[in-house]
Formats: sequence, structure tokens, C-alpha cells
Amino acid sequence: MKRKVLVNVVGVLLALLLGALVMLVQGYNPLETYYRLFEYSLAPGKIAYTLSKSVPLVLTGMSASVAFASGPINLGQPGQLLMGALFATIGGLYINLPPLLMVPLLLILAMLGGALWSGVAALLKYWFNMSEFITTLMLNMIADFFTYWAINYPFFEKNANHPQTPLIAQSGWMPEWSNFNSSVIVMVLAFGVIWFIVNRSTAGYEWRLSGQNSLFSRLGGVNTSKNYIVVMLLTGALAGLAGGLVIMAGPHRFIKGIGGNYAWDGVMIAMVANTGIILTLVFGFFFSVLQTGSLGMELITAVPRELIQVLQAVIVLIVVAGRGYFETFFAKVEARRKMRERTA
Amino acid sequence: MNIITGLINGMITSATPILLAALGGSLTYYAGIFNIAMEGMMLSGAFFGMLGSYYFHSWPMGILFAILGAILMALIFILFAVVLKMDEFITGIGLNLFSVGVTTYMLRQIFKVKGAFASPEIVPIPKIDIPWIKDIPVVGEIISGQNLIVYIALLATIVVSYLVFKTRFGLRLRAAGYNRTSLDTSGVSANRIRVWSLILCGVLCGLAGSFLSLGYVTLFSEGMSAGRGWISLAAVILVSGNPTGIALISLLFGFTDGLGLFMQRSLPSQFTSMVPYVATLVALFVYSVRLKKKQKI
Repeated sequence: MKRKVLVNVVGVLLALLLGALVMLVQGYNPLETYYRLFEYSLAPGKIAYTLSKSVPLVLTGMSASVAFASGPINLGQPGQLLMGALFATIGGLYINLPPLLMVPLLLILAMLGGALWSGVAALLKYWFNMSEFITTLMLNMIADFFTYWAINYPFFEKNANHPQTPLIAQSGWMPEWSNFNSSVIVMVLAFGVIWFIVNRSTAGYEWRLSGQNSLFSRLGGVNTSKNYIVVMLLTGALAGLAGGLVIMAGPHRFIKGIGGNYAWDGVMIAMVANTGIILTLVFGFFFSVLQTGSLGMELITAVPRELIQVLQAVIVLIVVAGRGYFETFFAKVEARRKMRERTA
Repeated sequence: MNIITGLINGMITSATPILLAALGGSLTYYAGIFNIAMEGMMLSGAFFGMLGSYYFHSWPMGILFAILGAILMALIFILFAVVLKMDEFITGIGLNLFSVGVTTYMLRQIFKVKGAFASPEIVPIPKIDIPWIKDIPVVGEIISGQNLIVYIALLATIVVSYLVFKTRFGLRLRAAGYNRTSLDTSGVSANRIRVWSLILCGVLCGLAGSFLSLGYVTLFSEGMSAGRGWISLAAVILVSGNPTGIALISLLFGFTDGLGLFMQRSLPSQFTSMVPYVATLVALFVYSVRLKKKQKI
């Protein structure tokens, strides 16, 4: 356990060091830059905002983590997020209930939208054995254009000079207390449910087993094709939920490009977290710290915030490669120590 | 007649980057590498191609820079996947996102713009007129007057095909994918072959990228590879790497792209833009159904 923490921390530090080198080469002061970055996102007044911003990252990250750990290579989070966002928006445009009913309803709609989109990929696999790896990627592009069409034609806000929908009903807005958005509560609930399913339920055990060795689990009596569909639907619903919350917590309407890079960041988070649910939460928050802080960094030190995008990818590559490397290194040390003990 | 030549020319134009990237993917496919980094290599090629052409006011430098930019990505892939033995899938995804990040960052840092950069200083890759042939009606409009990269892509198809099936390197390449242990034991390092296949893939993806930013249009925009790398990956999988098959599939995708543009008269452009991705799904569907039938027999 300690070793795992060490590997992650060392990997992140190495990546930050590389980022510092890049800054040095370009004539920026890396210490000040990092200080501004972390100050902007972690100062007492800011941390609630950073937490709120981590919601879509953690949710799409969990979606990817659960999928990868259970076998399906669901890379459709970007599309599922957009469909979830669209469903929640449509619900919010045409329905108006008291907030206590409205918010859960829109969240369910968002999950339905995401699950619908991942369900398409799941059925294509189930019926025709088409690899979800490529189909989900293609569905991403299709969802991108489809939602763009939806906000351009049927749900277009008249008189807007930018493709966007009107505002959703105010009862569907996630309540906000100063910087703290209640979408964080939804995220924590979702985290609890997913953690429980994956670590404490029979279904989760079967999923992880299938992820490790699909043949073994099938021979052991696990209904792998049923599990496959359930996992796809669940992970789609998670990504859809992320999309719904982006709308309900943020601009309260569907604007072009609202999905941003959340979903791909989520995929990266799942990879760097080695598909662990708790690590996904940790790295999701950490990525949010970097992204939120990048604003402050750009404001004060003139380092373009796009640097963070590079840094994120570097963190993924270094931590994952380092994990493999360290594991063999520690195994070697252990083996040598044992050998010495036996000979002594 | 104008519509048909327009459609065919559109087909060739949209097929070219997919074809070039897929040929690169074919080489790594034969070498047994699960290479999904074509998207990132292409994007990097597009950016550096634009950079080279802009600074040196010359398109050959643009092509050279595009190739170097894509090779840079290939080298990072080699470092992580071959040297550090990291999972190829994770390396590929990481590299693609790294490429998006680096090109966006450099666009901002060097040109101080967000989104896209266009300038009259960027010299595009010229179109080549073939004497005599260009005067033939209809056929001349198609065979002659295409972008230089289109002819390079055609040549690359033949070269890759020859390289894979008729040369010693090709034999080793296929051996590296088929059974790397026996290749290693015969005294040839499978890793070295894999490294070369990745570098060649970088060269081809670089050419594809240069076509995007210096041929198709003369500008660079963020994420301008727009899933073409993934489509080329699908093309490679559909024909199990065969270069001739890749050329045909790429033309098919190019055709659907052209068709999409053609349909814009009656459908919103958002739907016509979906066509190549839907076509990929349909192609995968046909492939799976055929595979199923084969397995039943």
C-alpha cells in the first residue's frame, strides 16, 4: 500500500519536474508558476470551487475505470457525456417541477442519455460482435455532430449569435452555496455506490474477474455477456451523469463545446489511477487542481494554461510507465533480500 | 460531368490522409504492435508541417518538418511502449492526448492564437500538372492536377506493399508480429524491427499530417486530425493490414466523405459530416457479419 502511494507520488513529482524544465527553457520561473497554480486552486476560499470542478472529471474517470477494470474498452465517454447533457437539457426545457423532484429527474434523464449511447455500442457488440473500442470512438464523433445539430435547429435559442439552447428551468439548477456546488454531493454519492458495487458486491467481483480473465470467469459460471451489457450501460450512465451535472451546475444551458475535454481527461485519470476507484477520485481531484489553478497561473505568470494539457498527458505516461518499472525494481530488491536471508 | 469529376476528386482528397496513416498502421500491424497513435502522429505532423512551411517559406521544409514532428511522437511511443514495456494501448491514448496538448500549447505559445492559425506566409504543397494527360477531357482532370501528396500516397501504397511482401525487412516485420520469439532466436532483434516499423509509421503519418495543414487547406486548427487516425485504424483492422485493401477501403471512406458534401444540399451539414464515421460503423458491421459466417462454416 505504502509502495503504491510512493510510486504515484514519485511519478507525479517527476512529471512536474519535467514541466518545470519546459518552463525554465522558455524563460519562466517554475517555482513561482507552480506556487501560483496551487495557490489559485487550493487556497481556503478556492478549494470548494476546485471540488465542484472535479465532478465531471471524477465521474467520467470512474466510468472509464469501471469499464477498463471489467473488460469493455469503453472509450465513448465523450459521446455519452454529450448525450447525457443533451437529455438533461431537453428535460429542463420542457418540464418544470419543484426542485426536489426536478433535480433527480434531470439526473436520471442524463444517465439515460449516456446509457442509451453506450447501449448502442453494447448491442452492436452483443448482436454482431463489433469491437466496442472502435464503435464507441465513432459514436463519439456522431454524438458530437448530433448534439451540435440539436442546438442549431430544434432547441436553438432564437436571437442568440452562438449555437446554444435557452436556459433550463430554474428548478433544475444544482443549488450552490458560495463556491460549493451541490453537484459534489451527487458525485460523492455516485462514488459510494460504485465503490460498493465494485468492491463489496457479487456483480463487482464478477466484473473484476472478467476483466482479469474473461475465459476463466466464463468457465467459472459467470454470465459474461450479461455482465458486459450491464457494465457498458452503467459506465455510459456515469458519463451521462457527468454531462447532466455540467449543464445543471454550470451554464444551465447546452452551449457548443460544453463537453470540453472532460471525458478524455476522465480516460486519462482512469489510466493513471490503474482503474482503482479510490485512486480515480484522488487523481480526478488532482487534475481539477491543475486545471483550476491553470487559470490563476495564466493570469499572474503569463504561462499559457494549455501547458496543463501537456502536463496531464506527461503525468499519465510517466506514472504508468514508472509503476511498471518500479514494480519490477521492488520485486528484484525483494528477491535479492530473500536470497541473502536464505544463504545467511 | 462536372459533378462526377468533383465527386471523384473529393473522394481522392479525403482518402489521401486516411490512406497514408493507414499504411503506417499497416506496418505496425504486421509488426504486432497495437498502435493507436496514428491520430496523434498525424496531428503533430500537421502542426509541424505548418510550422516548417511558415518559417522557411517553403513547402519541402513543411513536409520535412511534418515528418520530423510525427517521428518525434513515434520516438516517444518507442520510449514508452518498446523500451519501458508499457501497455501499448495506454501509451497510444496518452500519446494522442499529449499530441493534442503539445500542438495546442505551441499554437498558443508561438503564434499567440487559440483555435486556428492561418497566414499567407504558409506555403501550400503544390498541385502537379502532368503534361499531355492534363489535356485529356475528364480523365485528365482526375489523373492530373492532384496535390503532390496524393501521388506520394499512391507511390507509398506500392512501396509498402512491396516492402512487406517482397523484401527481407518485410519478412522480418511479419515474423515480429507472428512469432517474435522465433525471430529473436534466429538472431534478429524483434524490438529493432518494431522500432523501425514505428518510425516508418511516423514518416507516413507525417505525410498525412502535412496534407491536412498544407494540402487540403493551408492552416492549422486544434485537433484538425478529427478522428481520421481512428478511421485509418479501422481500415487497417478491416483488411488485416493488407496495403492494397487499405487503399480500396480508404477510397471508399473518401467516397462517403465526398457524398456527405454532396448531400449538403438537402441535409444539415451536421448530418453529412457524420457520414464517414457512420460508414466506418457500417464497414465494421459488414466485416463482423462476414467473419461470423466464416466461423460457422
